[in-house]
Amino acid sequence: MIAWEYKPAPDIDQTLAEHLRNFPREPRLLEYALRFLAALLLRAWMRVYHRLRVEGLEHLPQQGSFVVVCNHTSHLDTLALLCAMPIKRIHRVFPAAAADYFFSSLPRSAVSAILINALPFERKLKGAESLTLCKTLLQNDGNILIIFPEGTRTTTGEMGRFRSGIGRLVVGSDLRVVPCHLEGGLKAWPKGRLLPRPRRLHLRIGESRQYQQLEPSQESVMAVCRDLEQRVAALGRSAS
Amino acid sequence: MNISAALHSDIFLTYLMVVGGVLAFAGTVLGVLTLAGRNVSSIWQTYRGWLVMVPVVLGTLFLGRTATIFGVALLAILGFKEYARATGLYEDWWLTGLVYLAILALAITSWMPDPRLGYPGWYGFFAALPAFVIGIIVMVPILRNRAKGQLQQVSLAVVGFLYFGWMFSHLGFLANAEHAYGYLLYLVFAVEINDVAAFTFGKLFGRHKLRENISPNKTIEGFVGAVAVSVVVPFLLWFSFPHFEPWHLVLTGLIVGIGGQLGDLVISYIKRDIGIKDMGTAIRGHGGILDRVDSMIFVAPIFFHVVRWIHGIR
Repeated sequence: MIAWEYKPAPDIDQTLAEHLRNFPREPRLLEYALRFLAALLLRAWMRVYHRLRVEGLEHLPQQGSFVVVCNHTSHLDTLALLCAMPIKRIHRVFPAAAADYFFSSLPRSAVSAILINALPFERKLKGAESLTLCKTLLQNDGNILIIFPEGTRTTTGEMGRFRSGIGRLVVGSDLRVVPCHLEGGLKAWPKGRLLPRPRRLHLRIGESRQYQQLEPSQESVMAVCRDLEQRVAALGRSAS
Repeated sequence: MNISAALHSDIFLTYLMVVGGVLAFAGTVLGVLTLAGRNVSSIWQTYRGWLVMVPVVLGTLFLGRTATIFGVALLAILGFKEYARATGLYEDWWLTGLVYLAILALAITSWMPDPRLGYPGWYGFFAALPAFVIGIIVMVPILRNRAKGQLQQVSLAVVGFLYFGWMFSHLGFLANAEHAYGYLLYLVFAVEINDVAAFTFGKLFGRHKLRENISPNKTIEGFVGAVAVSVVVPFLLWFSFPHFEPWHLVLTGLIVGIGGQLGDLVISYIKRDIGIKDMGTAIRGHGGILDRVDSMIFVAPIFFHVVRWIHGIR
């Protein structure tokens, strides 16, 4: 008789805090159930409380991995983008979230990891490592990475410069990048306010971009950043 | 069992004092050892684990029958989850989820009144549930139209349900008994004393290996010492079940003494077969939940049936 082969979970000796902080996370039944439930509630809340309007859904690639970039005015950006993604792929959507903020304590890590499915991004130290993590994630087919290239929420409404990370991630690869713009976030939930106000949100999704023709170099990285920055800004201007 | 019954139960209040006294004594001894410069930091961590677990267990019993039954079910579900994650059964979410639901069904049958007799706890259904659950589990490959590797998955699910779910859930069903406080508190207390006794006797006098291929640290001396202690314990705690005759007490002691260590060995060979050290990380200083409740899984159903045979649950 051949002995059975057991396959213990790879994270069996991790504590809960370690499991939540680690990435990629091993899938867990309860977490998937909670995330799905949260996604349903979030969609209802966005539609009712914020009257979320989404334009350009047809620009989202139906297959394969892709990156979503968006301006960053409030926490609602992530939530609105999550609602715009197809609910079937909810466990494959990973918003990159600042590890020093969203994974700073156990309750925050739990919300970030279980409900938001966030990828812990080190924006201060080990930035290169985090980028490698993103690259590996996107090599697997069907993953969606949400990035806010400004790196932090704006307090004035002016869009900040796009940091070079997004450029380094996509330059020279066949990854598609979808520029998006969310309007109304700043009024609805400005930095420093505890809870969001019932203000309208309007999400515009632009045509996807690819940068495989560019050779990886400092200039092309900056060119990608500027290009995406202009695309997002243009989506914002088309509103007013 | 309910809050006011607990407040008026001499048995509950006596155990509260006994357990509090034991914890305080152990804390004092550890404190003295620390002051004397001995390195006891790992024991401190285990002790802190107890400081969390004891109030949780006593608090659940204090809240009453419903809390106890569903508390045991939650523990069984978390224990089964550890087993499923260790064996790899966890990758099969349908079977894992099915066993979760089945354990919940065990709790519901333990909690609801028997429709014919009107007593709390529908024992007939509780005892018959494994037939239905196994029937559904073996049906899963048919529904999925899949054969490869299915015998292993189904076997793991059936063993997981019967051992970690059904056998352990007898502890929850005891909450329906007339002498629920005595039975439950005695069991929890005696099983832990048995574990500690086996460890202590093994450390002090251990020479001969008990089962070297399963658990190299367990010794025959530890086993015998623990059984001896466990046979004495029911006499000291006779107030928990005043209707027991002396030979019932001996029998009870043997069940806890032998059964407790068998339960420990069962988890040990499961872990050794898989090749892991602990079943999980749920309780710091103790390992996983199964590393803590392993003895109770074996003891609970046997004790339950002895009680049922001597006195009846109702």
